[in-house]
Amino acid sequence: MMAILPTLAIFAYVRLYPIVDTLRLSFYKWDILSKRKPFIGLENFRELMGDHLFQSALINTTIIAFGVLIITIPAALVIAALIFYRTRSRLSGFYETAVFIPHVVSLVPAAMAWKWIFDARLGPLNAALSFFGVEPQAWLFDPVLSVICIIVLCSWQALGYAVLIYLVGFKNLPVSLYEAARLDGASGPQSFWHLSVPMLKPITLYVSVVTLISGFNVYAQAFILASDAQGAPGRQVRVLVLDMLENSFRNYRVGYAASEAVVLLAIVLLLTLVQFGLLREKGKA
Amino acid sequence: MNMQSSRTKAPARATLIAGVCGAFFMSAMASASAETLTVWSGYPEMAPFYEHVAEGLKKKHPDLQVKVEAIALREHEKRVALGLSSGGSDITVIELAGSTATRYLENELLPKAPDDVASFVKDPQNFGTFFSDTASYDGTVYGMPLFRGQGALYYNTEMFAAAGLTEPPKTMDEYSEYASKLVQRDASGKATVSGWSMRLSGGGQGIAEKFWVNLHQYGGALLETDGHGKWKAGFANEAGRKTLKQYLDNIFVAKTVSPEMPADADAFERGQTAMFIRESWVIGDIAKKAPNLKYATAPLPKGSIGLPTNLYVAGEEGKTQIGWEFAKATNEPENLVWLLKNVGWLPNRSNVDYSSVTKEQPAFAAFVDYPKDYSFFTLPSIGPVEEILTRVAAQLVIAFGDASLAGDDAKIDAFLAKTADEVNTILTREGLLAK
Repeated sequence: MMAILPTLAIFAYVRLYPIVDTLRLSFYKWDILSKRKPFIGLENFRELMGDHLFQSALINTTIIAFGVLIITIPAALVIAALIFYRTRSRLSGFYETAVFIPHVVSLVPAAMAWKWIFDARLGPLNAALSFFGVEPQAWLFDPVLSVICIIVLCSWQALGYAVLIYLVGFKNLPVSLYEAARLDGASGPQSFWHLSVPMLKPITLYVSVVTLISGFNVYAQAFILASDAQGAPGRQVRVLVLDMLENSFRNYRVGYAASEAVVLLAIVLLLTLVQFGLLREKGKA
Repeated sequence: MNMQSSRTKAPARATLIAGVCGAFFMSAMASASAETLTVWSGYPEMAPFYEHVAEGLKKKHPDLQVKVEAIALREHEKRVALGLSSGGSDITVIELAGSTATRYLENELLPKAPDDVASFVKDPQNFGTFFSDTASYDGTVYGMPLFRGQGALYYNTEMFAAAGLTEPPKTMDEYSEYASKLVQRDASGKATVSGWSMRLSGGGQGIAEKFWVNLHQYGGALLETDGHGKWKAGFANEAGRKTLKQYLDNIFVAKTVSPEMPADADAFERGQTAMFIRESWVIGDIAKKAPNLKYATAPLPKGSIGLPTNLYVAGEEGKTQIGWEFAKATNEPENLVWLLKNVGWLPNRSNVDYSSVTKEQPAFAAFVDYPKDYSFFTLPSIGPVEEILTRVAAQLVIAFGDASLAGDDAKIDAFLAKTADEVNTILTREGLLAK
């Protein structure tokens, strides 16, 4: 017990203390520079409820997080299944690497590349669409399309990790069950749907929690796709982390930003509990 | 044989290790004795200027090491907020707009300037009252004025000639008329070269600042003072309506520009827009990136923003002398002429002969030879100014994407009133709202 105390102490200092201090700060009015830090109770939270920028950030972040979840989980499951059932293929290593690379590629250059893909005038996406007679779209400027762009970028990045975890899950599934199913006349897709999907529920729980949490923490993708580099700005999709940073270090409202962080923490905790409830119980059944 | 060899190698190894340790120790001693100075700038194009100043200063301080860290302005502001609030003993010269520095001065996070710097700044021969006041707080000098952001119209003379236009627009109505004549379209009628590039998108407060510049031409202001340190929104009126209407007409009616079109200096340099309003640094940028571009500049119809930037020095008390020496060196005539010639930002010091640069580059004329009744405004030195501008910018982006506002004065008025309410709420919260 004594041996792990230093580790616990470090964990408490770098993990728990910031959370507790953020909770404490959310009840204060503090501009980061001043020595004065008056206690204002729930005033920051009351102001948040009427702040249209916060509401817009919350809505955008929620849409992005769930959008990424909805795209990533089924896509990762199907891709992992395809790769797993083709493990004897000489190209299986290539498939795994190709899917996983976006997860390890540095975010900034990747987002810059996507920014070019989505460019309204010079982007290959609009060029490809024009072959099918589709009008060029202002991907990064339209309020709806710009959110979709961020969902696509985040999903592209999250997919590799999810596929990797699902592959581990597939490798641990009992082969005998599939053989029995085959003897009973089940087709490949039927085995996948009635055996793989239910048995992978613990993996799905883990992957969906991780994906949802990282979806709620989206920041750099929105920042880069809309960064106002000269000559190529985009529409700023306001997300929670971006709003927090802006309130902390541009508006000097650290207490207010802390209250946003508390709301984000509460949402993520709540959704994680719901996911555990939904998937764990059904998984057991 | 092997024993002998290892015996001869051992002293050699020891000598080598001792040599390396000695060299390391000597270099550590040397670096400890060298003075180190860090310069934080929010304008990457300023880095060569500070390096040039550092080179000059090395004649007097051969051991001086100057680290210039110039990053994008918004990131720089965050760095300053974090850096100054968390303290630190390194001597750092910090570049800040006067309006932004006020917060730090209110909280005693920046030291006052030494007497020699203060008398240099207060000398009316060196700086006009506007600049020395912006570098001061409660009558005490805290900063060294350096350069200012001041807007003017940049226009592509070849595109003007092709459109039959012989001189720059002189009224805001003419700006729209010119934009309609200058816009270039493809066969489907879609604009390919914007007639007038306006700031319509992107993050941060730039959109609101540019809107304020146009609003100023109509006699309005985003924030109005009562003269007693209190402020209120000043754009929910006729001037605000005319300004927003002009934006919306250009986007949705005349379609001379759109948010997704390339914009700003890069677009101008690439021939993707015929005219736009920007500060003097664009002259230096064009010289580097598009030296063959045929362009000219012109003063704005009524006046411009004047946003002074100063240098402040942070660091361990009693050891900031080298920082102030550096700040003072930036204002040496030779360095200021270098700044104007090579970077393009307008120096604030007045008793320096800049004619060698302004004669060589006629584009500077719009920034120095403006009409007598030309009026300037600056951002107020109040705490929530960034928050106000950011929130107004967020609202304007929504307006620029809402076609139903174009041509509907009642809707425009409602939008402006709602945005003004938001601004006044922030001012009320901070106890700064004027009656």
